[in-house]
Amino acid sequence: MRLLEFQAKRIFSKNGIAVPKSMLITSPEDIQNILLPSVLKAQIPVGGRGKAGAIRKVETTSEAESVVAELLGSTVKGFPVQALLAEEPVEVKRELYLSYLADKQANRPLLMASLSGGVDIEEVAKTSPQRIIKKYIDPLLGLKDYTVRSLAKALEIDDFPSFNRLVGKILTLSQGLDATLVEINPLAETREGLVALDAKMLLDDQASYRHNAFFGKMQLEQKKLDKRAKSRPVEMAEKRNISYVPLEGDIGLIADGAGTGMLTLDMIHDAGGRPANFCEMGGMANDEIMQRTMEVILADERVKVLLISLIGGLTRMDEMAKGIVRYLQTNESYVPIVIRMCGTKSEVGLAMLKGVGLDAYEDLAATVQTAVKKAKEL
Amino acid sequence: MAILIDKNTRVLVQGITGNVGSFQTRIMRDYGTNIVAGVTPGKGNTTVDSIPIYDFVEEAVGDRPVDAVISFVPARFAKDAALEVCSYGIRFLVMTAEGIPEQDVLSVLRYAGITGTTVLGPDTPGLISPGKCKLGVHPHTLFSEGRVGIVSKSGSLSYEVGRVLTRKGIGQSTVVGIGGGPIWGLSQETVLEMFEEDPETRVVVLLGEVGGRLEHDAADFIRRNMETPVIALIVGRTAPEGARMGHAGAIIEGAEGTAGSKIEALKEAGAMIARSSLEIAEMIKEMGEL
Repeated sequence: MRLLEFQAKRIFSKNGIAVPKSMLITSPEDIQNILLPSVLKAQIPVGGRGKAGAIRKVETTSEAESVVAELLGSTVKGFPVQALLAEEPVEVKRELYLSYLADKQANRPLLMASLSGGVDIEEVAKTSPQRIIKKYIDPLLGLKDYTVRSLAKALEIDDFPSFNRLVGKILTLSQGLDATLVEINPLAETREGLVALDAKMLLDDQASYRHNAFFGKMQLEQKKLDKRAKSRPVEMAEKRNISYVPLEGDIGLIADGAGTGMLTLDMIHDAGGRPANFCEMGGMANDEIMQRTMEVILADERVKVLLISLIGGLTRMDEMAKGIVRYLQTNESYVPIVIRMCGTKSEVGLAMLKGVGLDAYEDLAATVQTAVKKAKEL
Repeated sequence: MAILIDKNTRVLVQGITGNVGSFQTRIMRDYGTNIVAGVTPGKGNTTVDSIPIYDFVEEAVGDRPVDAVISFVPARFAKDAALEVCSYGIRFLVMTAEGIPEQDVLSVLRYAGITGTTVLGPDTPGLISPGKCKLGVHPHTLFSEGRVGIVSKSGSLSYEVGRVLTRKGIGQSTVVGIGGGPIWGLSQETVLEMFEEDPETRVVVLLGEVGGRLEHDAADFIRRNMETPVIALIVGRTAPEGARMGHAGAIIEGAEGTAGSKIEALKEAGAMIARSSLEIAEMIKEMGEL
């Protein structure tokens, strides 16, 4: 989960990382209490807001009113703006870059820093990689003094103790909350010390069980701000924790693995068909998940044909068949269903399908051809 | 010969008494995998299908030598279980669990690096050397013994390709799933290197997907180090940008993550590019006797 700036900054502030004074604006009335001058920042989960005109400095109440009226409810980079963060401007001496992340190339936690703060760091990495300093952290040993000292040297930091505290807090924060990225860009050097002018945090969804209440609160807060209309299957899939990506076509797709799911998707395209969605149940799917997934995909009124692509390793075909049969028995009408089934316990699964008059293919290409043909006929 | 495992590999199953663990253990043993022990805390001094169960890895390795471990321990306990395996110097660990927090995976991989334990996964189906040994959850009836090495990000895609090859009379030397998560141990490059050195493997099939830059690194490796022909299939050609396609790692972010850029890089490195499992079989058939 990517936190919005105001959420990340609230966490920073609670954990002793300095951020500018601010307030959140979610409706035009909120500007009554605004401090002036102020920097108004659209709260959307995407970078490059400044260039997109979604970060604006205002000096007067009328300016604030007009910017709020313009930005609130507008769409920036595909995201509807439902909240603005109004921040007190900060007098900046230098803008630095500092981040913590799990480096997937090296399989190690990494601290990244640069004197080139306030610009797109990926651009810096491309054009002048020597301007980025990388220091790996041993997850078993934690943060070492010399690591912080060498970062401080590279960033030409005068006040080492406060920089040391800052880095320590970032580390504690990421480990304590299972954040896979904590990025401060820019990190401003001011007369009052180091201040995080922006904040980006990614939380590890796989670790949500360790922070149920906290992750839930962040999610709810984002949901309240996200007024985008969601289709019924998207909403159902979210509630049921099913991996679902809506697409434009008319062939519903359910797969029991990400790889074969994507292969099936490509093959539908290659055969001239148009998938209505991508959906993968995950390796631990059982009969209940199968049934609930069918309910999601078939709630999509655009779906003319349902293609179920199953090749069981961990997933057992007897359980998949049980789920399919149960769906058919509890629902009166449904679109034609084309099934591909092989793998673990498929002999049992195929027999169960046969029992309710359903044939299944073993060959994926034949399955796709049939589904595409049926969708075209209907 | 096969890579990583063979008929003699002595296997310990961690989490052997759970639903999945006990079910898969039976299948592996029926396949001929030499399973010598199981571990489930609190279930020591019992047996599953006459396989002795211990409370701790320490007790098991005290009783009998163990070469490899396959872990069915659920995500939230997987870190501790893996550290336990590494602590006893076991050389090979297969982690099947999906959804282990990244921090936990990083700690396990770091410690495994120190103890010299090769970690396959997490979120991996494991591996199978058809006719010899199966250390994973592959539906083994779809595979057959032969000379094609398969390395795959996705489990299900390797089953699909194995099935089509087997149908066409083309057997496999070893089929390895490296894991679907954003972070994993044994890399695609290392598996490619093992295949390159394995005299039995005559063709390598690389199965990849959108997201990350894994296949770009593999392409570099192929260009520099491989004489064995490589056939690559990258799925997700038609996936939309920004969406998570099932696997935690399968998100197109930036140009490098697209299937197109990966296909280009692999093509440039000299790999043959297939668009479906059937095309892989046809390409191998054209090579003649392997």
